[in-house]
Amino acid sequence: MSEEKPKKSGLSGIVDGIDRGTAALERVIMATGVILMAINTIANVISRFVFNHSLIFAEELNSIFILLVTFAGLGYAARHGRHIRMSAISDALPQRARKILMIVVTGVTAVLLLILAWYSVQYILNMYAKGRVYPALGFPVYISYLWVPIGLFVAGVQYTLTFIKNLQETEIYLSTDLREADAREQELEL
Amino acid sequence: MATLMFSVMVILLLMGFPMMVPLIAGAFIGVIELFGTIDKTEFMIQQMLGGIRPSSLIAVPMFILAADIMTRGQSAGRLIDMVMAFVRHIRGGLAVSTASACALFGAVSGSTQATVVAVGTPLRPRMLKGGYKDSFIMALIVNSSDIAFLIPPSIGMIIYGVVAKASIPELFIAGIGPGLLILLMFSVYSMIYAKINDVPTEPAATWNERARAVKHALWPLGFPVLIIGGIFFGIFSPTEAAAISVAYALVLETFIFRTMKINDLYQIALSTGMVTAVVFILVGAGAAFAWVLSFAQIPQQILGAVGIDQMGQVGVLFTIAIAFFIGCMFVDPIVVILILVPIFAPVVEATGLDPILVGTLIVLQAAIGSATPPFGCDIFTAVAVFKRPYLDVIRGTPPFVAMLLSVSVLLIFFPQIALFLRDIAFNK
Amino acid sequence: DNWRYAMEEGLTDPQGLYATKFKEEIEANSDHTVQIYPVGTLGESADAMEQAQAGLLQFIDQSPGFTGALIPEAEAFLVPYIQPTDPVVVRKFFKESVAINEMFHDIYREQGLELLSMFPEGEMVVTTMEEFRTPEDLAGMKIRTMTSPLLLETYTAFGASPIAMPWGELIGGLKTGMVDGQENPAIWIEAYDLDNLTNVMTYTGHGQYTTAVMANAEFYDGLSDADKELVQNASQAALDYILDVAVELDATGLAKIKETNPDYIINRLTEAERMPFKERAKAVEAAFVERAGERGAAILEQMKKDLVAAQQ
Ligand code: NA
Ligand code: NA
Repeated sequence: MSEEKPKKSGLSGIVDGIDRGTAALERVIMATGVILMAINTIANVISRFVFNHSLIFAEELNSIFILLVTFAGLGYAARHGRHIRMSAISDALPQRARKILMIVVTGVTAVLLLILAWYSVQYILNMYAKGRVYPALGFPVYISYLWVPIGLFVAGVQYTLTFIKNLQETEIYLSTDLREADAREQELEL
Repeated sequence: MATLMFSVMVILLLMGFPMMVPLIAGAFIGVIELFGTIDKTEFMIQQMLGGIRPSSLIAVPMFILAADIMTRGQSAGRLIDMVMAFVRHIRGGLAVSTASACALFGAVSGSTQATVVAVGTPLRPRMLKGGYKDSFIMALIVNSSDIAFLIPPSIGMIIYGVVAKASIPELFIAGIGPGLLILLMFSVYSMIYAKINDVPTEPAATWNERARAVKHALWPLGFPVLIIGGIFFGIFSPTEAAAISVAYALVLETFIFRTMKINDLYQIALSTGMVTAVVFILVGAGAAFAWVLSFAQIPQQILGAVGIDQMGQVGVLFTIAIAFFIGCMFVDPIVVILILVPIFAPVVEATGLDPILVGTLIVLQAAIGSATPPFGCDIFTAVAVFKRPYLDVIRGTPPFVAMLLSVSVLLIFFPQIALFLRDIAFNK
Repeated sequence: DNWRYAMEEGLTDPQGLYATKFKEEIEANSDHTVQIYPVGTLGESADAMEQAQAGLLQFIDQSPGFTGALIPEAEAFLVPYIQPTDPVVVRKFFKESVAINEMFHDIYREQGLELLSMFPEGEMVVTTMEEFRTPEDLAGMKIRTMTSPLLLETYTAFGASPIAMPWGELIGGLKTGMVDGQENPAIWIEAYDLDNLTNVMTYTGHGQYTTAVMANAEFYDGLSDADKELVQNASQAALDYILDVAVELDATGLAKIKETNPDYIINRLTEAERMPFKERAKAVEAAFVERAGERGAAILEQMKKDLVAAQQ
């Protein structure tokens, strides 16, 4: 984690670039999403008091922000091994058992998330065909769902990579950049 | 089918899967059994999105963001100083101060985890120096943070209110009574503990010091006035109150206390965004799981099997409390609320129970759950901020859990503990 | 077979009564069974609708007000002073309307739904803190509506300050004074104690709370002729039943309010008092046409003709 990754070339360089780009985008969506929720909600209060008029689209906008934040964060949290889990039992197991368990956990999680990513694409295609729109904003609902499959896919890929890493290395990895040993030291942010 | 869904969920949970996975896998199995094809999985997506979308849930990230801003700034410290100035000199004064500070910070923040950080970080070293045992200190901090869940604003109350379609302002007011009762019990226990272990008392603060402490705390004390007053007098909804509290926290910490630069907001929002995402993906997965249960009419079967119809109000309340207590031991309280509230809703309506009383009891179990092993987000937070092993953090917990459970029982037999203030406030 | 039927209300509410009657008819005249899912068990209205379109549910009862995101024309039922309120006219209107039985039938078909029947759940009544008889009286009153642009448009046109608020926040909103009023049928006002949270209830005669029962079209087309007839007969029987009951329910709701809350002021606007509201409703019609397009305009015209025909 600490040492600089050597610059990659060719295909893996492109993949690496996409990965970093996605991570950056996830951060932007999460932070600005949260800030925009606050601004949007406060604007609605002000509008009601000052102009005696409530912004009917405020609710719909907030729904969209929370969806974006959740699915951007889904990938981001997978990348950094931050999803909530109950590790009380697995922590008590010996190293070898924990290792096998972690391979199973990351593998199964990856498969499930990728299946969900696939069906979320199906869902969006159906929604696109039906033409459901946000009543107040007036634009199609499916547009606000576009990040859902991306978030699920990114998370699925992250767990796949962690699965591979756990197969290759002797140490136990919670995510591609987080070793179990480091996780115990790391301070949880709130 | 229900048996298979639940056993897969529990097994994956115990294996240490990310908590969304047991829910998703359980729902997945349900969908395949129910419709005989994997194709209908897209409706799991529909339900996940539907669970996340309700705009009232915006209150959750907003209260987390406000708490994040305050935890990094001076608000918490000023509230703690005020409490200390008044109670530190009594027997067990530091411990009583800690519990009271948790309650007071709870009136400012909706999150128990933020309370662990904001109150625990400065007070644990002081209590250690004051002669308390670490196991007692950590259990006190972790469990007193529960009070933040009951004292408004409360993330638990908001989620219950959204799921059960109950009045959030009334829930907020109803949580105050049980919250203060817990504070009272913890304070008495702290005094007894200090007496038995002969912990030295602190010197009393002068009235000058006290006046200064109160003056310093006036700004942060504006939070409960703004939030509760604003909701109670119909100036804004609970969701809006949450966003307003973000603005207030921001103004306080950037312009008045000058602990934060406006540029820091981006980093704080990022951290809030991640905590929100991690919780809301569970909200979504929980909604998908609950949908499969409803579709297969499993709640009706389970409740029919336990004979809930013959139980009467007290029996139903006990069943609810036990179900939520056990659920919250293992799973995130928010998920438990999402799955169990719809299951019990028909029974609550049929027995004529007050949904506000039920909500208060449920949120109390959720609060207890976040501090009880094996799964407790407050325990994890304490492990992280105090850098102590998991087992050390939970060692002193049993007496606190016993007190919290006794409050649950009292609440069932004396609903007025919760409803008294609500009835006054809303002229019932 | 076991058929799944989802709705937006509880079993004892109008939609529940219709569904129960429908279920009884089906089960008495065939080997099929009907499983009813009351409100809240399968997700929000739009979600339940998607499940019906995909065939997870065979039948669904959903109000046009909630279907607007999918079928903008259905919002015609939200336009004020388009529907009858007199019980005799109501029955004739809902059974014979060309707009419902032909035009809407075809529009729902496009969305993969076979429209079985539409029925009213009761006249929309406005409850407020203070009395009003003119649009001017409504000035400054904060009226809660469902999150629908057309409803906001309606109350803006009527002179009030509408606030869109989820149903779950309404009781809290009335108790804290965040809103001063709301609209609903009398039966709902009674059931949710809204009369005790307000002081006046006003019959403005501007509309019915209407709902529509549909079957998944693919499922319906796949039925044998005998089963199609079974479904049609059951839905007609349930419609006849609910048209009787809805009138009673409205009366029952009102009677209960009068009994439990004798001081409650109940106003019925006279025809003359309704005129300025009707005048202002034209703005809502225009907004509807803007949203629903030419086909929406045609439906609105047909509904007006149906109304006249029903009044004959
Ligand atoms: Na709180
Ligand atoms: Na727990």
